[in-house]
Amino acid sequence: MKDKLKKQLNITNLLFIVFLLIQLLPEQYSKETYEINIIIFVIGIQVIYLLLSFLNKKEEKMETIQDIIAISYLLIIIWQLLTSKSAILNELLFPAPGIVIEQFIADLPKILEGIQSSIFIIIQGYLLALVTAIPLGLAAGWHIRFGNSFLYVSKFFGSIPPIVYIPYAIALLPAFRDASVFVIFAASFWPILGATMAGVFNIEKKILDSAKTLNVGKLSMLFHVMLPAALPEILMGCSQGLGISFILLTSAEMIGGKTGMGYYIKYYSDFGDFTRIVVGIIVLGVVVSILTYFFNLLQSYLLRWRQ
Amino acid sequence: MSKIELKNVTLNYAERKSVFTALDDVSFSVKAGEFVSIIGASGCGKSSLLSLLEGLNFPTQGVITIDGQEITGTGEDRAVVFQHYSLFPWMTTRGNVIYGIKQVNKKLTNQELTAIADDYLEKVGLSGFENKYPLQLSGGMQQRAAIARALAMSPSILLMDEPFGAVDAKNRKILQELLLELWENSEEKKTVVFVTHDIDEAILLSDRIIMMTSNPGRIKKEIPIDFPRPRTGSHLLESKKYLNFRKELLATFFNDISEKIGGEEVAL
Repeated sequence: MKDKLKKQLNITNLLFIVFLLIQLLPEQYSKETYEINIIIFVIGIQVIYLLLSFLNKKEEKMETIQDIIAISYLLIIIWQLLTSKSAILNELLFPAPGIVIEQFIADLPKILEGIQSSIFIIIQGYLLALVTAIPLGLAAGWHIRFGNSFLYVSKFFGSIPPIVYIPYAIALLPAFRDASVFVIFAASFWPILGATMAGVFNIEKKILDSAKTLNVGKLSMLFHVMLPAALPEILMGCSQGLGISFILLTSAEMIGGKTGMGYYIKYYSDFGDFTRIVVGIIVLGVVVSILTYFFNLLQSYLLRWRQ
Repeated sequence: MSKIELKNVTLNYAERKSVFTALDDVSFSVKAGEFVSIIGASGCGKSSLLSLLEGLNFPTQGVITIDGQEITGTGEDRAVVFQHYSLFPWMTTRGNVIYGIKQVNKKLTNQELTAIADDYLEKVGLSGFENKYPLQLSGGMQQRAAIARALAMSPSILLMDEPFGAVDAKNRKILQELLLELWENSEEKKTVVFVTHDIDEAILLSDRIIMMTSNPGRIKKEIPIDFPRPRTGSHLLESKKYLNFRKELLATFFNDISEKIGGEEVAL
């Protein structure tokens, strides 16, 4: 029992107490800041954290969770200290955390709709890039002569910031949706293609020799040998492509969209509504983090054969 | 008729301005069911020679035939065990063996494939490791799996390129005896060409040793090994005949190396 109590004497719980103490400070902002929202939010996280730490037996995993929560507490504390608790920052430009949560809840239906729209566009453009770039990269990587020239071509196109395609896409494809899918495709295609070809070039020659001595057929050679052998590098290209896709889609939404989080942020920035801009920024960050998390899970599953 | 026949085989590699002769006028033959080791210092062309038999490379001059047919590429009649990377690291042990069998027999059901694969894995002592990935196994176990895959493809010829070269001494002995046992007890004896630089390994395993010299790669001597089978390492070590024979072989082997060193005026 004593050990268990001692274990609770950590930075996360200390920061939680600091957070509670800060709530005793008087508010300095003139408008309503809905501080109760952030208090409920932090207490909610603390309850989940305590439940996890009592149920979870894996020390290492728990340490990471604990640290992430500690950092979140620290950021929230700094945020509160700089805004509602001291008014060091301008009230109009920097909303207090409580009011951001209040706005988030009020706009939730609109936000969910926006996220859904963005994710569908990304999935379409990204999948299109995957199914074209990977087979093409495998084939190009295999045919050395074709592949060498192709590597330069893909490097050339890959070095062009894909954002320049946006005006063209909008001019050619009048529907915003189609234009966005095209831009996502164009942006993720080149990194995936380049990574696939590089992956094939770097396959250990002896692996290919071993496959040849098994009399492997051409298709099996491509998809059962070269694809998995190049997969670690291909996935690096895929992760890069996914990152670019989000940056681009948000930009496209800000320039010409009527949906999505990019549009949400752009629309309210025209009104100088900084509470909603902060809501949009945080939502985007959370969505991208969740997607990256699932991408990493998939990646470690696909590469489970590596030590 | 001999199973494998090499007639005046020369292999040149084009280098930037010159031509490197890896094999120079090499001729020998291997009978069906014979176990032949090719031995020589590194760089003598023994692995190049094997790559010709594998069908991964072709002679500049001369002809290589298997059952009277000239080699035109890799073939189902031959299975290969390399020192490294024989197995595909992204397939499980069982998956690797099944993938090998599938290349020679496309009609089997998944159940049959699994049964055959597990049978061969048991023969090499890998029962219980069917679902492990190669990188989760030790070097010796990886070579066991590679041997299982090669045998499961039921080739008539087994080509082995220093298969135990990267395995520690103790496991190497165990693997050598496992290979001997599998070879001696198979229904139809496989023809084996085994490349090594380990004289003891060559004597233990082979019916005949082909000793090569380097620069250019040539055959120095062919030595028949007539110790009675079944052989074991510990058994051989007890016989005086073996010790003398080994001494003689080592002398021939090192004689060649010191000649080379003398010839090239290398200071030691």
